[in-house]
This record gives sequence, C-alpha cells and structure tokens, in this order.
Amino acid sequence: MNARVEQALTRLKSGKPEDVERALETLQEIVYGFGMKLCGVREDAEDTAQETLLRLARQLKDFPNARALAVWLYKVARSQCLMSRRKSKFAPAQMLSLDELMPKESGAAVPAIQAWKITPEEIVLNKELRGKLEDAVLSLPPHYRLVLILRDMEQLDTREVAQVMGISEETAKMRLHRARVSLRNALAGYVRRSQREDHD
Amino acid sequence: MTERRCKQIFAMLSDFLDGELPAKNCRELERHLEGCPPCIAYLESLRTTVEACRKYPAPRAPAPSKQVKAALLAAAKRSPRNK
Repeated sequence: MNARVEQALTRLKSGKPEDVERALETLQEIVYGFGMKLCGVREDAEDTAQETLLRLARQLKDFPNARALAVWLYKVARSQCLMSRRKSKFAPAQMLSLDELMPKESGAAVPAIQAWKITPEEIVLNKELRGKLEDAVLSLPPHYRLVLILRDMEQLDTREVAQVMGISEETAKMRLHRARVSLRNALAGYVRRSQREDHD
Repeated sequence: MTERRCKQIFAMLSDFLDGELPAKNCRELERHLEGCPPCIAYLESLRTTVEACRKYPAPRAPAPSKQVKAALLAAAKRSPRNK
C-alpha cells in the first residue's frame, strides 16, 4: 500500500498537471475502495472519496512521507465513512469473545475441524464467494471490521493500523485476531458446502 | 480443540501467521501443532481466510469529480517545491 501512496505523493508534489491527475486516480481508487469495503454502499464510498480528497487538497504540504499520508488518508476516510452511516450497513457495536469464537469439542454432534482452501483465483473469479466474503466483513462489528480491512485488505502494518484507529498495537492485534476468526467461521460453512457439491 | 493448551494456542494464531509472535511462543506453538491435527486444520483455514482478504479485488472506482481535480491541481501548484 505504501508504495502506491508514495508514488502518488511524489507525483502530487511534482506539480505537473499530468502527474497530479495520475496521482489523483490512484488516491481515488484507494479511498473509494476502502469506503466500499467499510460502508458497503456506493454512494457513501463516493462521498467518502470526495470529502477526503478535498481535505487532502487543503493539507497537501503537510505530509513528509508516504506513511504519514497513508495514515492521514485512512483516518479521514474512516471518519467520513462513519458519518455516512445513515445509508451504510453497520452491524451494532459489540465485543467478540474469543471463547465464543473458538471451535467447540469435536464430539459426535459437532463435525471435526476440517481443512479447507480458497485459491486466489476463486476470490477474483467466484462472484458468489466474493459476495460471502463481503457480507461476512460487513457483518463484523465496526471496530473489528475496520482493523481487518486496514490490515488484511489494505495491507497496512500493525503500527499504521494502530495509528489510524488511535489504539495501541496490542489492542489492534487482539481485534484483528477476533475479526479473522469470526470471518473464518462465517466462511467455513459456505466453503465446505460448495466443496462437497463439487465432489458430488 | 477444547484442551487448555489448544485454547492458549488458538489465541496466538494470528500473531504466528503475521510473523509477530515472540520466538519462544513460536517454538511452543510449533511443538503443539506437531501433535494436534485440529489446530493445524484451523490454522490452515485461518491462513486461507487472510489470503482471501489479501487477494480481494479492489472495487472499481468512478472517476474523481471535477471539483476534486481542480482543488488538487491548485494545491499541487502551491506546493513549496513549485514556487
């Protein structure tokens, strides 16, 4: 992620119109994409991108490096997106308990944990699977959803995630693990079912 | 996956996948995995979930508005390097 932001920042600072336009395309893709993952609604993601990039224009000179710009962009986009929650799908705020997320005993009534696999191609090509992933992400309580999107989809590092969210790195890691486990559990049933159907 | 040890291991899986688990805990986890197929299966499905998120394609963005474009072009012109 930082490589794309770094390239955009260099282009913006060059001041050449063609460079600025290319930088803007990159930043629009980043912020709009983040808005879609977080809000799940196109109009909200468009508003998020518009407002975030207008604010960027006012503060452009304040960014010493790509890391500072990336953290700033996601911080502003996050609050813009949360302000659009009238339209967006936001699950109620709640705590995810690791005890409740942990698979229970592999007794007779509960199937044993089985390995399953999703290939990178499936995520790109299988619309139904992508839809399941999107729904599962949108069903996460907001502060778990945000940490998962920032770390695993936007691929920020733990320090950057903590800075965007204004929390400690330890809290970011704890929330990330619960979000991943919750997502994994949500996908497990679907993936196993579709793999069974493929074998039948 | 109900033993106390599995529960402790379960809490470390994300740090392990991210390479952020301290070396001592890493060795402990690897030793446990050698004898615990359910934990291995769970770890692999968690790894798959993380990979699916990483490969998730970015939604197609609309073109930026004229207002944003004009504002950024003006801001870039004002940038100290261009004075």
